[in-house]
This record gives sequence, structure tokens and C-alpha cells, in this order.
Amino acid sequence: MKTIAYSSPFVPPEWIAAHGLRPQWLRLSAATGRPPALGRGICPYAGTLIDAALAGIDASALVLSTACDQMRYAAALLASRGSCPVFLLNVPSTWQTAAVRNLYRGEVERLGRFLATLGGIAPESAELARVMLTYDQARHTLCEAGLPARQFAEALAELHSTAFDVAPCRPTPLNWRVPRLACPTVLSALLDKPAVAPGELDMSPRRWPTAAERAAGIPVAILGGPLLEADYDFFDLVERSGGRVVLDATEGGPRTMPRPFDPERVAANPVQELADAYFDGIPDAFRRPNSGLYEWLGRELPDRHVRGIIFRRYAWCDLWHAELHRLKRWTRLPVLEIDASPDDTAATNRTEGRIEAFMEMLA
Amino acid sequence: MNDMPRRITLAEWDQRYAELRAGGLSEPDYGGPLRRHVDEGDVRLLKLRMDNSAAALRLWNFLLTEEDRLRCAEARGKKIVGTMKDLGTVPVMAYSFSNLVAFYPDGAWWLPCLLEGGNELLAIADSLGIDDSYCPVRAMLGAFVSKKRFPIPGLLTCSVGATCDDFSAIAQRVEALGFSVFWWEIPHRRLPEPGEPAVELPGGFQAPAEQVAFVKSELERVLQALETYAAERLSQERLSDGIARANQVRAALATLRQVAYTADPCPLPALEMLVAEMLAIHFCSDHNETLAVLAELLDEVCRRVRTHTGVLEADAVRVFWVNPVADLRIMNLLEDVGGRVCGSDYLFCHALDLIPTDLPPLEALARMALADPMVGSAADRAARIAADVRRFGAEAVVISRIPGASHCAMEGAVIAEVLRAQTRVPVVEIEVPPVTDAMMPTLRTRLEALVETVREARSRSSLGEESK
Repeated sequence: MKTIAYSSPFVPPEWIAAHGLRPQWLRLSAATGRPPALGRGICPYAGTLIDAALAGIDASALVLSTACDQMRYAAALLASRGSCPVFLLNVPSTWQTAAVRNLYRGEVERLGRFLATLGGIAPESAELARVMLTYDQARHTLCEAGLPARQFAEALAELHSTAFDVAPCRPTPLNWRVPRLACPTVLSALLDKPAVAPGELDMSPRRWPTAAERAAGIPVAILGGPLLEADYDFFDLVERSGGRVVLDATEGGPRTMPRPFDPERVAANPVQELADAYFDGIPDAFRRPNSGLYEWLGRELPDRHVRGIIFRRYAWCDLWHAELHRLKRWTRLPVLEIDASPDDTAATNRTEGRIEAFMEMLA
Repeated sequence: MNDMPRRITLAEWDQRYAELRAGGLSEPDYGGPLRRHVDEGDVRLLKLRMDNSAAALRLWNFLLTEEDRLRCAEARGKKIVGTMKDLGTVPVMAYSFSNLVAFYPDGAWWLPCLLEGGNELLAIADSLGIDDSYCPVRAMLGAFVSKKRFPIPGLLTCSVGATCDDFSAIAQRVEALGFSVFWWEIPHRRLPEPGEPAVELPGGFQAPAEQVAFVKSELERVLQALETYAAERLSQERLSDGIARANQVRAALATLRQVAYTADPCPLPALEMLVAEMLAIHFCSDHNETLAVLAELLDEVCRRVRTHTGVLEADAVRVFWVNPVADLRIMNLLEDVGGRVCGSDYLFCHALDLIPTDLPPLEALARMALADPMVGSAADRAARIAADVRRFGAEAVVISRIPGASHCAMEGAVIAEVLRAQTRVPVVEIEVPPVTDAMMPTLRTRLEALVETVREARSRSSLGEESK
């Protein structure tokens, strides 16, 4: 089975899976010990993606989206340098009109035609509906499980890197090695399917906080774009500092999940429902206007009793950077800015100190 | 009075202005000595060398009085439209109305240069969290908040989608501060799939017909917003007339570019050519005057070509320039080290292409909007640049990065790779902040090296010819 790597929450993994291909949500690791391939002005996440793609990712194609301008240019750069095939999904910034919704749906269909060129088979409606509902059920299960934020994020990444067969709730996770998840059993345990091949698991013991420990932590939200693999240590850091992330509003958390599918609409027109659920369901900084992001935060922050917001952004990420000042004015909650610089020990130590101070202030 | 073409300083312009006046110079109502702009804050002029013609005087005065012109228009009852980011599409529509005047708030990106820092505007942007990691266009945010630079438009449009993140983010902040924005979508231009209906765009790019139809539908929304704001219906005929008038400007610029970029010696400095090209975006808020300014410039250029005179030595190295410079002084610097601009892509070459007149007007405008080099892939843009490099006989290419602009972080690498493969001319990439004084030695060295490389290649080439 061919693997299709992707790096945007607007790429529906169920659409890839329904074509008989394996979706792989890229969780990137910053290269260590060598200078970045590209220079000043490049967001570390985009730079890491370029580095990884040029070094060779274990996938037949890479799907990026226009939701970030640097990713748009990264697609051009990778195409010009002859990396694996790159598909650039056009995700409109505006959302108010039927025309942009149709544009997004058309892009999803175009992605399907691209997948067909790689050996994918366009699904019949009934088959697509089954795959969609399988993913939907799995996401629902995940949301109901009450997992700590890190476990949730890792399980969601696992889910979005999983090719299900057509029988509902029978995951066939074929890509445990890439990305190498810290705890790949979470999803399969949740779905009650021990589907991991022997020897392919990272079985290193990991101590998750107990329910009592978690209940004692100061509830905070983390907000921002995508995280690198190592950035998930951040959640542990928050917990060690006396907090707990009750709302992961980065690109790897529940903020970027599609809204639940409507079974009737799935039955009537699965592609339309797929497109609508993703296009309407994901609030983000890049949307114009991006009022939906603040509406979403306005619901989620009080629901989860958040007492502080950790705003994490990459250097040169204009979209998120610009929201920081606005967020501080919009919310009464304390906001801590973390300017992420991967592979920088000094920055890591500084971040640790800042989070500890933030938690002490919230305590 | 010595009328030999020269690049002169502002101090020299004081004398020159007096001479021109004494010689009977007739000026439009915005005319006057360039010194007054310095007195009003545009202190960067003190560091520039400008063309010494009356035509150039008119061009500079026209450019530097736009804010006054907008306020006058508003006082006369005209309605002001701010057209953010579209670089030449919505202004064509707006100027088809009898009572609308469009301008380009993003033009504030040159204020940090002209004001040598633009401290107040940038301080406002800083205070709103938009720091110097952003493109100098962040000065626009300060201009909106301070309300001191341009009149606040009653209608503000902004194209988003395949646009720079830095600008999109700043425009979002503008809206969040209470300035209502009419957003319209410009999708990333993609290549048509095999068998997919496609159309050719002005400038030669291809786009799927469905993308053109989509952009046309977006422009229909914009048109409705303009009609509501103007309280006036716009017929197809009047929009076609507006396109025809825009094409007059584009045709004038095409002629000016062809003559100025190909004549030897160089008849008009790069700085004035850059300013002239910019007029295509929104006519500097006065369409008729734009035509008059361009006509006078073209007359002057043609006069110089006829008399075999120019502002530079005849063997100046022919350089194609990519992207506008945040500091205008760099255009002087290139000429100071022996180069000249012989072709350009200042990010709005689609605003220089003629808009098709054999199509329904909104369809024609949609095609033009999709031809924006920024909307497509960097490789597409590079291919057009390569074609223009050959067309204008460029011997080198300078890619000028705009600090903080999201597109500049990567596009230079793609463009340089394509150019090296397709044209074999040397390519150099430099970053130009709004005020380059501290970096001038470094930038000078880079440009000198480029010029010397070309001269060395010329020498080798001529030696090779002789040995044959």
C-alpha cells in the first residue's frame, strides 16, 4: 500500500484512505547537528519540512496546502528540486460564500484524481461513506476518552496516519515506524484492536500522570500552529511545572478536527459532507476574517475552565504572530508567549523557566 | 541652462528648479520644488539622486502629493476606496465609476524609506505587536491608526488566498481594529490538468477555466460592493471604458519600458522607471494625470534617444531587477557601480499587461488578476522572468528580497535556480531593508562583484571573437 504524506489539517485522511492508500500525517523532527537548508525568514516548521522532504520521506507523494504562504512556496521549491510528487491543495482563506466552499470541494476532488495517478482507486459513494463514518467514530471515541493532551495529540496523529479497512472500527495501522509515535498503543487500545505488528512498537516505559495528578494541575490552553515531534515534550513540561493542558489548540489537537459528520448527509452525498465538515469545522488564524477562531476559543476556554493561555509561535510565522497582541486584548486570561526555535538548547531552557514562572503566577 | 541628462541630488535640484522656472517651466497644480517634500518629512530624498528633467520633476511631484490629492478628492465629494493587495484589479473597476477614487494603502510600505524610519508609524505597528519581523508594509497599520497619512477609505477591499502571509495578517489586524474589510479570494493559480479546459492569461500563463470563472465570481462580489458604496450601477459598457483607460496607461508604460530599457545609453534612471511603473497599480489616484505624466516622460526619453544622450555610460551592465526595493537608494547604487536596469518584475507585471478587450469585462479582469506573478508558483514567475531576461538582453539578474515578506524567504531560491538553468546569466540575491545606509558597503560590494563578473565575461567574449 502506498503512503501519502500530508501536512495540513485540511487534507482529509479518510479521503486518502478511501482511495486505498495510506495517509500519513507528517510529524516532523527537526534535524540536529546540521544547519538548516534554507536561510533567514523561513519558518522553522516549513524549513524542517523542506529538509525532511529533500532528504527523502518514506511516501509516494506529499500533500501540502495553501493555508500557509510559506508552505505554498515550499511546494514550489520541492517541485523544482525534484522531491517526491507534491500536491498543493488550495484551501481558500475566505469562507463566507458558496463559491469558496465549492472551490474547496473541487480541490478535494482534484486531490482524488491526483491519488488515482498514484494507483489510488476512486471510491464508490457507499465505500467512502463507510470509511468516513469509521474515522468519525474513531475521532468520537478519542474525544470521549478524556486523554491527557499529549496522549490525545499522539493518538489523533496515529488515527490520521491510519488506513482503515472497510469494516468499521478495524484499524490497520501500517506505518508505526514513520512517524515513530511515543505511545502508539493509545489509539488501538481505545479502539480495542491490538493491531500492531510485534517488534514494531516503541515499548519504552512511559509514565503518564495519574488522574489525581492531572486534576491538581492548573488548567491551561496551548494555542498556535503545528508542532514538531520534540515539541510534544512541551506538554510534559507544563505538567512538571504544575499545570495541565486542558485545551490543545495547536494544529495537532482537537481544534483542527473536522466537525462530526452528519450520517444523513454522508449517505446523501459523502464528498460534499466530507468537504463541508473540514472546511467549516476548522477555525484557524489564516482564515479571513478569522473571527471563527475567536468564537471557538470563546466557547472552549470557559468550558474547560482554562486559567492561562500559552501562545506558541514559530519565528517568521506571520499568521500566528499577528494574533498574539489581539489575543491579549481579547481575553482576560494571562497569556504567555513562547517563541519557538527548534534545536536550540538555550531556548529550551528559557522556555522551561518561563513556563515555570507562568505557572507560579497562575497558582 | 544645461539640459544634458544627469542624475542630481536634491541640493542640485534646488538650483535646477530655479533654472527651469526661469526658463518658463509650466507645472500642474501639484508642482513645486522637490525640497518641500523634504520639509514635509520625506527626508530620504536628500540621499537620492534623481533625473534632472522637468518630466522627472513632474513624476516625483505627482508621486509625493498623492495623499493631498486623496484629501482633495474627498473634500470634493468623491468616495475613497482602499484596494489592499490586489495590485491593479479593483482600481480599474473603481475608476470606472464617476464618484470613486481608489488608492493602494499598501503603498505605505515605502514610508519607512521616505521618512527614514517612519518612527511614528512603525512605533504604532510595534505597539500592536507587528514588529520588524514583518515586511515594511506594517507601516500601513500605523497609517490606519494614526489617520495622518491617507484619508480612511469608506470601502476597504483586500484580496487574500494566494497572497503574502505578512500582508494578510496585517490586514486582519486592520479589520480587528475596527476598519471593515471586504475580503475577496484569489486562489493559487495552478496548472491545468491534462484535458482540463484552460485559458491563456495576459502575460502568457495558463490557468484552468474554472479558476478564471471563480475569480470572475469574486470580482462580481467586489463590483456589487463598489456599486453599493458608490450608490451607482456600473454598466458593462462603462466597465469596458474603464478597462480601455487602464490599457492606455499600460500601453504608455509598455512603450516607455521598451524604449528606456533597450536604448543605449540608458535614457532614464532606474529610480524614475520604478516610480513610473508603479503608476499602473492605481494611477496614483488620478488616471488622467498619470497619462500626462507618462506622456511627458516618454517625450523626454525619446528626445534623449534621438540625441544619443543618457544618464549613464554607454557600456553600463544590463541588469534585470526582481522585486521592488524597500530602499529607493539601492536603484541609485546599482547605477553608481556601473549597472543599469534593463528590465523589471516589481511584483506587478500583470498590471503592465494589456487587459483583454475582446472578452466580457469581468472575465478579462479575472484573467488579469490570475496573471499576478505572486498568485502562481515561484517557478511560473521565474519562467516569465527568464523570458523577459532574454527579451531585454539582460546580462545579470538581481533578486531583491523584502525583509519579512513571506514570499521572499523561499522564492529567490526557486527563481535563481530556474534562471541559472534557462538563461545562464549571473544571479545575485540581496536583502534590502527600508534604510540601507549601514549596509551600503556590503550591498555595494555585492553589486560591484556582479557588474565585474559581467564585464569579465564581456572581455572573455570579445577576446574569443578576436582570436577567431
